[in-house]
Amino acid sequence: MFLIFKRLWQVNWAEQWQYRANLLMYLFYWLVSPIIYLAVWTSIANVKGSVNGFTANDFITYYMVLLICDQMTSNIVIHTFAYKIQDGTLSGELIKPIHPLLTNGLVNNIAFKVLTIMGLLPIWIILFFLFKPNFSGVAITGVLLSIPIMVVAFFIGYLLSAAITSLAFWTTRVYSIHEFYFALILLFSGQFVPLPLMPKLIQDIAQYLPFQLFLYFPIQLILGKLSTDQIILGYVMAGVWLVIAIVTFNWVWRQGVKQYSAVGA
Amino acid sequence: MSATIQVDQLSKTYKVPERKGGFGAAVRSFFKRKYKEVKAVQEVNFTIERGEIVGFLGPNGAGKTTTLKMLSGLLHPTNGKANVLGFTPWELKQEYLRSITLVMGQRNRLSWDIPAADSFLLNQAIYRLSDDEYKKTYKELDELLELEPLMKKPVRNLSLGERMKCEIAAGLLHRPKVLFLDEPTIGLDITGQVRIREFLREYNKRTGATILLTSHYMADVTALCERIIIIHHGQLKYDGGITNLSKKIAPFKLIGVMLAESNSHDLSKYGTPVQNEEDWEKRYIQVKAEDVTRITSRLLADLPIHDITIADPPIEDVIEQAFNS
Repeated sequence: MFLIFKRLWQVNWAEQWQYRANLLMYLFYWLVSPIIYLAVWTSIANVKGSVNGFTANDFITYYMVLLICDQMTSNIVIHTFAYKIQDGTLSGELIKPIHPLLTNGLVNNIAFKVLTIMGLLPIWIILFFLFKPNFSGVAITGVLLSIPIMVVAFFIGYLLSAAITSLAFWTTRVYSIHEFYFALILLFSGQFVPLPLMPKLIQDIAQYLPFQLFLYFPIQLILGKLSTDQIILGYVMAGVWLVIAIVTFNWVWRQGVKQYSAVGA
Repeated sequence: MSATIQVDQLSKTYKVPERKGGFGAAVRSFFKRKYKEVKAVQEVNFTIERGEIVGFLGPNGAGKTTTLKMLSGLLHPTNGKANVLGFTPWELKQEYLRSITLVMGQRNRLSWDIPAADSFLLNQAIYRLSDDEYKKTYKELDELLELEPLMKKPVRNLSLGERMKCEIAAGLLHRPKVLFLDEPTIGLDITGQVRIREFLREYNKRTGATILLTSHYMADVTALCERIIIIHHGQLKYDGGITNLSKKIAPFKLIGVMLAESNSHDLSKYGTPVQNEEDWEKRYIQVKAEDVTRITSRLLADLPIHDITIADPPIEDVIEQAFNS
């Protein structure tokens, strides 16, 4: 199994390098909205002193960490896989004795991540000198605790996106379903607005949804803003949602493959 | 021991959304979709024993590819059963997938952007082949298909024929016991076709593999298969030896002539005029195989002939004639 992943890595890494220009464009597209949120919220806080207790430095540090967490936990499986189901290219992968989404698709996403994180690095450093964040609240324990959470959050996000991607077995409108799902992420993950600035109801709901695990929870963990109880709740939620994501994906995939029509030759 | 491939009442019906052209129809179909049922394969039965090479023939849309896709596990049938090597194909068990291969005319085993060599190594890992096994099989494949010069180029830069060679080789690295080949020689020149045929025959002899192949080229089938299964409109029409089939199908040839002057000459006294949609320059007549020499010399003597060709009629026409009349 190790050798399979090693060779998959070599192939996908080489493939991603072929598309490095494309990848940079993608990265810029990806970074535009968080950087806008960063700039907008910081200027508002600068004018008003603070927004609901969030100072300008709180916003800067929040969004600077968000840029990293976002790259760690997000995925692009809908873009790299849905079309294969629709145009029949999945056939070639389906008859190989490995799971297309849990091996090749996964490694492909990880190779993509490693490259985008490499691309993010210089941009992050420039932003650092532009906005001069004060990271004094960051402690090593928070950083260490955030790593397993981000890994699990990546898998939760990957499996949920993969489940939505698998809806392509039934409908060609799968991209709009995924857009809706993406809007939920934007709202409940704390990307649009840090969650404490949201109405209480949304905060309460967000606590039990997987999306805050992608961004808000690891960001606050790194910034040292969570109590022990909150950290434990976050870990429990991550475990629960990982199981839900695995079960959901497996079910949708199995049903979907039965629907597969292997169009084209 | 039971047969390698056993197909029992296998059926596949596709539901295809259907609407008329135009705006109104588009709006109506948004609210109420109409579906048409297409019976691609209907209650097909056959068994194939270990080591057989069977040709699977039929006109376009007859259900050949659908059947191959069901047998390789890609498609779930609407009805019926199939058993290949003791497995139900569409359960997609890993052990099953490791013992079969499906080669289709299109790209599917090779990654488009990287050299074939890398995809081959990936397949080695996926099919869990030891280095020795892999090298041995690769060497054999290389001898038969001359792969080495193609291995280092990105697959997108290979010609269709070169890619087909690599696809076939990639599909055989794991030494499958059952081969489903959909148009394995499509796009190849004559030497390429002959080479693939020789290779398949040799592979079958060496490994005792069972091969089920579809082809547009009658030559593929006559060269490789002793047994033929014909399906037409999703139904099994013939299952038996190739020699019996040739008796059933009247042996015809097509003579195509390009006349130097006008096209007004009446060719119907030489044979049955037929249309050939792929070649409008020439006029075609169909004649009995035994009359070819006689009629050709008459044509050459009587008419101002610029160019003349003699060919086998397309497989579709032959089958259409044999089973529709």
